[in-house]
Amino acid sequence: MTSDLNLNFLKELEREAVLEVLYRDQAMRKIEEERVRKLKMQLQQLRWKGTRSVSHEYQERSCARCHRPLGLLLNRGAVCNGCSHRVCSECRVCLNPCLWKCTACYAHGDVKIKAGEWFFEERAKKYPNEGRHETVGAKLLKSYQKLSEYSMCSYFWTLHLQELCQTKSFNKSVENLFLSLTTHMKKISKSQNDMADRSHLTTDYGQHVEKRKERRSQSDTAINITSRVSKSLYSVSGTVRSVWGMQSLSSSHFLCSLNSTCTEYGNFGKANVTGEIEFAIRYIFKACVLEISIRGCKNLAYGEEKKKKCNPYVKVYLLPDKSPRSKRKTAVKKSTVDPEFHETLKYKVEYPQLGSRQLQVSVWHAGALKTRVFLGEVVVPLAAWNFEDRSAESFSWYPLKAKVTLGFCHSSKLLVSARLSVPAQDKNFQLEKQMREGPSLQIDDLAVLYLFWGSCLILPDQTEMKQRSPVLKKEVCPRWKHLFVFGDVSPARLQQSCLHLTVWDQASLGASDRFLGGAALGAKESFGLRDPGSEALLQWQKVLSSPNTWTDLSLVLHPNKERFKS
Amino acid sequence: MTDGDYDYLIKLLALGDSGVGKTTFLYRYTDNKFNPKFITTVGIDFREKRVVYSTRSPNGSPGKAFKVHLQLWDTAGQERFRSLTTAFFRDAMGFLLMFDLTSQQSFLNVRNWMSQLQANAYCENPDIVLIGNKADLSDQREVNERQAKDLADKYGIPYLETSAATGQAVEQAVGALLDLVMKRMEQCVDKAPGAANGAGTAGPEPPAPRGARCAC
Ligand SMILES: Nc1nc2c(ncn2[C@@H]2O[C@H](COP(=O)(O)OP(=O)(O)OP(=O)(O)O)[C@@H](O)[C@H]2O)c(=O)[nH]1
Ligand SMILES: [Mg+2]
Ligand SMILES: [Zn+2]
Ligand SMILES: [Zn+2]
Repeated sequence: MTSDLNLNFLKELEREAVLEVLYRDQAMRKIEEERVRKLKMQLQQLRWKGTRSVSHEYQERSCARCHRPLGLLLNRGAVCNGCSHRVCSECRVCLNPCLWKCTACYAHGDVKIKAGEWFFEERAKKYPNEGRHETVGAKLLKSYQKLSEYSMCSYFWTLHLQELCQTKSFNKSVENLFLSLTTHMKKISKSQNDMADRSHLTTDYGQHVEKRKERRSQSDTAINITSRVSKSLYSVSGTVRSVWGMQSLSSSHFLCSLNSTCTEYGNFGKANVTGEIEFAIRYIFKACVLEISIRGCKNLAYGEEKKKKCNPYVKVYLLPDKSPRSKRKTAVKKSTVDPEFHETLKYKVEYPQLGSRQLQVSVWHAGALKTRVFLGEVVVPLAAWNFEDRSAESFSWYPLKAKVTLGFCHSSKLLVSARLSVPAQDKNFQLEKQMREGPSLQIDDLAVLYLFWGSCLILPDQTEMKQRSPVLKKEVCPRWKHLFVFGDVSPARLQQSCLHLTVWDQASLGASDRFLGGAALGAKESFGLRDPGSEALLQWQKVLSSPNTWTDLSLVLHPNKERFKS
Repeated sequence: MTDGDYDYLIKLLALGDSGVGKTTFLYRYTDNKFNPKFITTVGIDFREKRVVYSTRSPNGSPGKAFKVHLQLWDTAGQERFRSLTTAFFRDAMGFLLMFDLTSQQSFLNVRNWMSQLQANAYCENPDIVLIGNKADLSDQREVNERQAKDLADKYGIPYLETSAATGQAVEQAVGALLDLVMKRMEQCVDKAPGAANGAGTAGPEPPAPRGARCAC
C-alpha cells in the first residue's frame, strides 16, 4: 500500500521538516524495541524456569511454576489450559472469578499486550502482505536513505530560520517578508541550476556573469528589506547571501512550523562551561558498532544561572556528519548539575571510516519552551583512538570545554578542476575580447566539502577578488559542484596572481564562521617565502599553460588560518 | 527525552480538515498551552505524553495503574499532503477525528475522513472519537450539538465538544479514546482461542500450543 509512497513530492525544506519528524520517531521506536526486547527476555526466563520441572513431573507431582510438591487429595493443583502444566493455587493469576492462567501464561499474554502485539496481529489480518512490525515512518526513512545519494539542501538555512521564527518579533510583516524572500530564492535557485551546466557556461560565460550580477542584486534587495523590517532579523543577510544555491521554499507558514518540529536548533543560550563528563568509547568489530556509554557529569554550570536551574542531557554527533542521522541524545535529567545517565549511544559505522571521524559529545540544558543552553563539550578525534586496546574502553572523565574549533583532517585533499577560458572565436579580435570580457578561471567539482568555500584571487597589485560558495549541508564526503568564476583578468596578470581557497564552517547567528582549512594556488609569495618549485606554483602554471581545458588539481588543506586571505 | 520506563506505547492520531485545530488541540493536551497563531502542519508531526492509566475491575474497585506512553500523531489537513498523512493511519491504534464547530464544511468533511479511515487504518472499524473543536467560539457556531451527536451515533463513536483555547474537554476526549483502545487491547487478547470457555481444568480442546494463552 505504501510501497510507492516517498517524500519526493515535498519541497526541499518540507522534506527536511518531515525527515526531522521521522528521525524523532525512529529514536522513539528504538526505545520501544529495546523495551520490548527486555520484556521478552524476562518472559523467556520465566518459561525456562518452568520447563526444567517437566522432568520432575512424573517422579513427584509438583507445581510447574514454583516446584512445590502437590498433594493427591489436598492442594492437588490444576492443569493450566495454556501450557498444560499442573500448577498450585499460588501460581495462578485470576482474570475474573472463573478464569485463571498460570503465571507464565499470564506473563505471556501480558507481554503480548505490552509489546503491542495485539495491534500487529489485527493489522496483519487486513494487510497480510505488509511487514508485520514495520511502520510507515521506518519505511519512508529507509527508502529516502536509499534514494538520496546526496541531495543539495541546507540545514543551515533551516537553522537560521528556526532561530528567527522563535524570536518574539516574528509577526505578520515578517511572514510576508519571507514570502517575498521565497520568490527571490526561487529565481535565484534557477540561475544556480544553470550554473551547474558546464557546457552552457563555456560557450557564453559572459551571459553567465550577467546572471550572477542579477542574482546578487536580488538577494541584496531582500536583505535590505530584511534589516528594515526587524532588528531580530538583522543577521539574516549573511544567510541569504550564502544560500542562493538552495532549491525552494514553500510558504512562510511552513517556515514557522519548523519550530514545533525541530527541537535540535532551538534557542541557544550560553552558560559558563564548567565540570566534567564521564564516558567510555568502544568499537564492536563484529557488529560494526561504535558505542559511547555515557555515565554522567559533575559540577555542570547551571543552564539558567539566575534560577539555579539545570536539566542536562548529552548530545553526540559523529562528526563531520551533523545531520540528524548522526545525532544521538540521552534522556534529560531534571534539576541536577551532577546528572547520571547510564546510557549507551550507538552508531553503525564501518571501522575504516572512524579514522576520519570525530566524536563530539556536548552537554545541554533543556529549558522551558525548547530553549537549549550549551553547557560544554568534548571532541574526541577517533583517528588516534586505539579500538583494539581493551583498556581504552574503560570509563574516563573528560573536562568540558567551550566550543572547540572543528579540526580538519590535515591530510584532506581538495580536488579542484580549474581552467583558463580564453574566448577565441576570431583570432583578430582576441585581444580586444579579452580586454572586455577577460579570461575566466573556473573551478569546479570539489570532491571534499565542508559547508562553504571562500575563494580569493589576489592580483599582483594586491587587489582581492572574493567569492563565496553557497552553504551546503555537512556531509562526510559529498560531491560539491560549484563554479567560481573570476572574470576581467588577463592571463599575464594571472601569472602573477595567487588564488586562496578556504573552507569554512558557517556559524550560527552572532558567532563568526570557523576556519577549517585552506589551500593556495599561484605564483605569489603567498606565505612570506618564495618557493618557485612549490606545488602551488607548478599546479597554477599547469592551469595557465593549457587554456580552455580543465585541469584536475589536488590540493592539500592547511590548518593555519593566518596564511590565507578570505 | 523518552526512556523505556512505561508499560504501554499507545499511538493515537489526529485528523480532520486544515485549520480545525488539531495541532493546537494536541499542544493543549501535551503542554496545557494555547497557541492562537495558525501555523499549518507540514505533512506530519507528533507529540508525546506520559500518562497513568488505571483500570477498573468489573466490580468498580480501582485496579492496577499503568504507565502509558502516548505518541500523538498530528497530520496536515491540507489536501496536498494527503497521500503522506493517510499512509500514517495504518500505524495508529486510535483516532481523534476533529472538525471545527464554527465551520459547517469541516463537519461535512467528517464523512470523507471516515471513509479514509476505513480504507487506511489498521482495521475496518478502528476506535475513533469525534471531536467538535472551538467550542469557546459560541457566537460563530455553525454546527449544533444534535447534528454532530447524530452523526457520531450513526458511526457508533463517542462525540465530545472541546476547546483548545480554554482546555474544555480536551483531556476527556483523549481519555475517552485511550479507554476505547485499552479495552480493545484486552479484548483482542481475551478472545484468542481457548479463552472463551470458563474456569477449571482442561477443556475439550487439545492443549494450546506454546503461543496461545491459558483459558483455565
Ligand atoms: N478560539 C479557538 N481557536 C482555536 C481552537 N483550536 C484551534 N484554534 C485556532 O485555529 C487555528 C488553526 O489551528 P491549528 O491547530 O493550527 O489547525 P490544524 O488543524 O492543525 O491545521 P493543519 O495543520 O493545517 O491541518 C489556530 O489559529 C488556532 O489558534 C479553539 O479551540 N478555540
Ligand atoms: Mg496542524
Ligand atoms: Zn506454584
Ligand atoms: Zn499456563
